[in-house]
Amino acid sequence: MTNSENTKAQMRKGVLELCILSILSQGDAYPTEIIDKLKETKLVVVEGTLYPLLTRLKNTGLLTYRWEESTSGPPRKYYKLTEIGEQFLKEVQQSWFEMVDMVNKTIQK
Amino acid sequence: MNKTVTINISGIIFHIEEDAYEKLSKYLSTIKGYFSKTDGGSEIMSDIEARIAEMLQGKTSAVKQVVLMADVDSVMETMGKPEEFAGENVEENSNNNSQNNSQTESTEPIKKRLFRDPDHKAVGGVCSGIASYFDVDLVWIRLAMFLLIFFGGLSLWIYIILWIVIPEAKTTAEKLAMKGERIDINNISKTVKEEAEQLKNRAKKFGQEIKDNQGPRNFFDKLGDFIKEFLIVFAKFFGRVIGLVLLIFGVIFMFGLMSSVFGFSIAGSNVEFNDWINVIFLDRSHYTLGLLGSILFFGIPILMMIYGGIKLLFKIHYSNRWLNISAGLVWLAGFMIVLYVGIKTGIDFNENGKVKEEIQLQSKKDTLYFKLNSGKDLMADLNLTDDDDDEIKNKKRHRRSDFVIANNGHAKYVVGRVTLNIVPSTTDNFELYVVKKAKGEDKRSAVDRAKNIQYKINQLDSLILLDEFFIVPHPEKFRIQEVQILVKVPKGKVIYLDKNLEYVINDVENVTNTYDGDMAGRRWKMTAEGLRCIDCKGLDMDDDDDKGLPPPPPPPNGPINVDTKDAKVSIDKNGIKINSKEADVNIDKTGVHINTKEEKK
Repeated sequence: MTNSENTKAQMRKGVLELCILSILSQGDAYPTEIIDKLKETKLVVVEGTLYPLLTRLKNTGLLTYRWEESTSGPPRKYYKLTEIGEQFLKEVQQSWFEMVDMVNKTIQK
Repeated sequence: MNKTVTINISGIIFHIEEDAYEKLSKYLSTIKGYFSKTDGGSEIMSDIEARIAEMLQGKTSAVKQVVLMADVDSVMETMGKPEEFAGENVEENSNNNSQNNSQTESTEPIKKRLFRDPDHKAVGGVCSGIASYFDVDLVWIRLAMFLLIFFGGLSLWIYIILWIVIPEAKTTAEKLAMKGERIDINNISKTVKEEAEQLKNRAKKFGQEIKDNQGPRNFFDKLGDFIKEFLIVFAKFFGRVIGLVLLIFGVIFMFGLMSSVFGFSIAGSNVEFNDWINVIFLDRSHYTLGLLGSILFFGIPILMMIYGGIKLLFKIHYSNRWLNISAGLVWLAGFMIVLYVGIKTGIDFNENGKVKEEIQLQSKKDTLYFKLNSGKDLMADLNLTDDDDDEIKNKKRHRRSDFVIANNGHAKYVVGRVTLNIVPSTTDNFELYVVKKAKGEDKRSAVDRAKNIQYKINQLDSLILLDEFFIVPHPEKFRIQEVQILVKVPKGKVIYLDKNLEYVINDVENVTNTYDGDMAGRRWKMTAEGLRCIDCKGLDMDDDDDKGLPPPPPPPNGPINVDTKDAKVSIDKNGIKINSKEADVNIDKTGVHINTKEEKK
């Protein structure tokens, strides 16, 4: 039981990065928006996971951010894909599809 | 009515209940702890705080202005426990390192802990866990374990204990902790230092608190807190040390137990040992049961020592109630078995039985000669070798263990060595007794058993020949049978103890306090004070050197010839002839002739 949970968690973790980049490719977003979208897909279990990941992506130059004032709360950090990020995403998407194909073929046998 | 605190998270002001504040503040500082040493840690922290502020804002309104405990709980649930996403952080951190090699290594915030590694396991994942803990290649640990199991004999148990005691790394956080910070001497000393520092700080802080304290009640509360914390830190600090000591002793005891059990099972194939089992235990199953019981009785505490030691040493906070209970029960069972066999066997040693048999002396002479019947015939009869004899002799003064098993081809006997004691007689005559002793379930069986001991004494006039050994006949059990020769010597009479009685003489009191073994080969006269040596003159009592001893007196049978410078004495079938410087005496069939030299002049 726990083992399958474990595997699922590992899988989620692996694709989380790809999903964040994909969400941002559809338009800039701040963490809460990203979380909401990820929650729909059940990819994020706890929110805390997201923040270190975003910071790391930003530090490697795949993302930038800008501050926007909010009427209802603290200023929001809007993340945006950089050019490198877009390039990176394309590559990763490409290999993702290839991988999914291969994996599907393997497990459907 | 509850007290509220005003806080500022990410630039937003909240009113929060005091207990909720405590919880939130602790939560945030824990997260901070996790990220403090990570690249971009403060940024992550402020992002998280911003999100928390946003969530809390959603939970307050113009009507409900105060943040409650439930709100904090819900925020914490959404955000997740620090350890749940800290694992993420470390992993990313290491990814980061590989992507970005210029970056220097960041200290990993997770302390390394010992886990079993389910991902690289061969049996239980113990070896792989240990390998990650000590940062050693898995192959070496496996090889060592393999060698120990097949040649060391003990580590199979150790392996099982480790398997039980070390938890499996199930979650990602645990798996990361398993591979966490490198463990080396520096690291351990750092931990120890930190713990000691913690202790010191607490003491300091306590002193400070005393200074600032507001009331006596407060003081005692704080003292209580302090003592509690002190004990916790103290236990942390010394827990490892105690754990290590427990572990080391446990392993040593384990070795001891294993080798004795091993020894017993080797000995079990030894004929003589088997014979002993047969003569000591009521039957064979008692022995097997006793051995099993002892293994449990001693083994379980040793195993628990190792178990506890490992737990303390590696700070494994996980306790298996089922295991503890069953260990307790098994130990109790072992104890009962030992008790049962012990009582059952011991009861047969319960009572002493003693039989005193008087031997009628043939000789009425004033000197008795005691000599050991060297026992060669007896030994041959019983298939005893000289080795067995030596075995007995080597034990010399440990008389109680002077027993061997002999067999004459038909049956097996316990054979023991006799002892000799000499005391003053209350009558005017020599008295000779054979005292036989044995133990038994009750007085009666002990006496019967004593009567069963076979022992014989031969007399050749005044020469008393003692058998060296007594025999406990088959199928009599060994119940510490003893045979003591008791000689009662009247005042003024003499006994001669032959040299070969050296190891048989036991604790005989004498005037000169001569050691038992040194009493042999001498003549002793009973005086009012006790036994006095009459041919030891000029001998140093402490000197064991036998040179210069006067020759032992001749046996009372056969011709006697004494030839000195000044005189000649010969006693033979012709009569008695004495030739000296001053006089000659002749006794023969012609009568008594006395010639003095003076008469010749």
